[in-house]
Amino acid sequence: MKARRAAVLALRNLKRDRRGSVLGALGVATGVGCLVFFTALGTGVARTVRTRVFPDDATRIEVVPPQVSLGALLGGGKLDEEQMGRLAALPGVEAVLPKMAIRVSGLAYYDGPFFGRPLRIGVEVMGVGVAPALMAQDAAPGHPFADPGPGKPLPVIVSSRLLELYNKSFAAQRGLPKLTRELLVGFRFPVQFGNSFVVNTGSHPEQQVIEVVGFSDHALLGGITVPLDVARRLHRTQGLDADTYSAAVLRARTPDAVPEIIAAVRRMGFELDDSERTLAEQIGWAIALVTGALGLLSILITALAAVNIAHAFYASVRERRREIGVLRAIGASADDVERVLLLEAAAVGLAGGAVGLLLGRAGAALADLAAARVLPDFPFKPGTFFAWPAPLLAAGLAVAVLAAIVGALPPAREAARNDPAASLSE
Amino acid sequence: MGAALELDRVSRSYGDDGSGMPVLIEASLRVDPGEFAAIVGPSGCGKSTLLNIAGGLDRRYSGTVRVDGTDLGAMDDRALSAFRGRTIGFVFQSFNLLPGFSALENVLLPGFFTGGQSNARARGLEALEHVGLGAKAHKKPGELSGGERQRVALARALCSRPPLLLADEPTGNLDQRTGEQIVQLLSDLNREHGMTLVVVTHEARVSRVAGRVLHLADGKIGPSGEAATGAPAEAVP
Repeated sequence: MKARRAAVLALRNLKRDRRGSVLGALGVATGVGCLVFFTALGTGVARTVRTRVFPDDATRIEVVPPQVSLGALLGGGKLDEEQMGRLAALPGVEAVLPKMAIRVSGLAYYDGPFFGRPLRIGVEVMGVGVAPALMAQDAAPGHPFADPGPGKPLPVIVSSRLLELYNKSFAAQRGLPKLTRELLVGFRFPVQFGNSFVVNTGSHPEQQVIEVVGFSDHALLGGITVPLDVARRLHRTQGLDADTYSAAVLRARTPDAVPEIIAAVRRMGFELDDSERTLAEQIGWAIALVTGALGLLSILITALAAVNIAHAFYASVRERRREIGVLRAIGASADDVERVLLLEAAAVGLAGGAVGLLLGRAGAALADLAAARVLPDFPFKPGTFFAWPAPLLAAGLAVAVLAAIVGALPPAREAARNDPAASLSE
Repeated sequence: MGAALELDRVSRSYGDDGSGMPVLIEASLRVDPGEFAAIVGPSGCGKSTLLNIAGGLDRRYSGTVRVDGTDLGAMDDRALSAFRGRTIGFVFQSFNLLPGFSALENVLLPGFFTGGQSNARARGLEALEHVGLGAKAHKKPGELSGGERQRVALARALCSRPPLLLADEPTGNLDQRTGEQIVQLLSDLNREHGMTLVVVTHEARVSRVAGRVLHLADGKIGPSGEAATGAPAEAVP
């Protein structure tokens, strides 16, 4: 029997038993709705963590000197120009971009108007100098991220995450205005390098003005990020080492090259600063675990729907036993009977899956609406907690159809095995 | 000339494993093409079982069953189903129409499984016209009388123009007048179209128009001697 004819028969049968078909489809819809809802939630939260809280770059490796080192005797220790050259020569490395933590203490004291509000604040300033190539794309147009030379405002890149934390936490608690990147670019404030609230630096303080030129996910979270030459200049002014780097960012040519580079870096005696990546992975695992548990619960609901379909089909097959006997008498084979019943189940599953997807989407929209109205505006709060990649939708439909077919398979087999003569005599 | 239907020493016992009470004991029968054979016998003697075996619906028998020279026992389910769809038409006592389908759709249903011809619809309408129901082609079985339903069942059996028609008590659920109309239709099919008919019945009006009447009793088929018209049906001793 051709598939189109089998489908016509299957749809006719479903139309006759509307109530049973709708109940079967609703069971599947509930399971699949829950499944896609929880999976989309887990995917959405994981995406927020990955892209906003701990933005990750698959080709980026941050190399740091070992915490415990026997120095140059054993080949580890300082990150200087020579080591930068060795790192750059590693197979698969596209670029090596040095970072230098500013070892000069800095003190920012501000007393004046701050976007319409008076602000009086004093903070210790930490900083890091980075190769301009590392942040060049994050600087706002017309605001170059390069050492402008002595006597001019120092360009700084601020962490995007710091701005988020300020807006959603600090500003909200202290009644300060919320700020945007556009507002802050060009904002200047004074910093006294060589001064500190907490330690006696013993050096001569130097007044500088710094100017915000951009924001980056990779900028220092609790401080300022300046061009590498600015850090060198500050160190030289204070008589400090200006040739040793605190870290080096390696860019791999491809993500596949990363494991080999990491192994080579470790052989050179250096360590990796993968604390953020590890934390992101741990959070990712936690999310995956919770999502998996809820997904299992949804699978259980879908399995129950399959059992429900099995019961419904057993009842239907018993009710239609004589009718199936007639079909056998007029030329239907056992395979034809089974195919028609499985197509009925597939149609129920498909309809249930489609409704389940709609239910899942509707539930997600309601959850987002409730989150927007009820939850406080915490840092990194996403506009939506859900992600709906196309494979998730396809998988939802596939699970629905599969569950329905699996549920209908035993009764379909039984119907196909029925003795047509016995069926007709009932 | 080969037989339209031939049963050679067919035995069948009740029970799934065949160990129950025997209902057919080495029964043999030969029906020639164009013949109208009526099989009569007391209730429960195995008339319907015989018909089911002849139509390939019941395969738990010993012996040989040939339809149009083809041994039904040698075919697998798929081949037998296709053969049945093409070669054998069935008419049942209780009509056995699918309730969700119109009269025409019921008539066209065998074509779903046998790969109906491109002009199937026209042939279906023609079959309905033939049984006098052309005007009710789109009525559902629930909207038809008992006699009309049986005529639809007859049209369904005729639509694919099978050489052999097996009817199991075709007038059993009908009143006198309607039953006679059906008997007349069966007789016309045999006389005018040369269709081979094997009808299981306990009604005299059917056996009166049959070419040969065979009696089934104690598991054996024998001539009853009441044949009135048509070519002879032969019970093989």
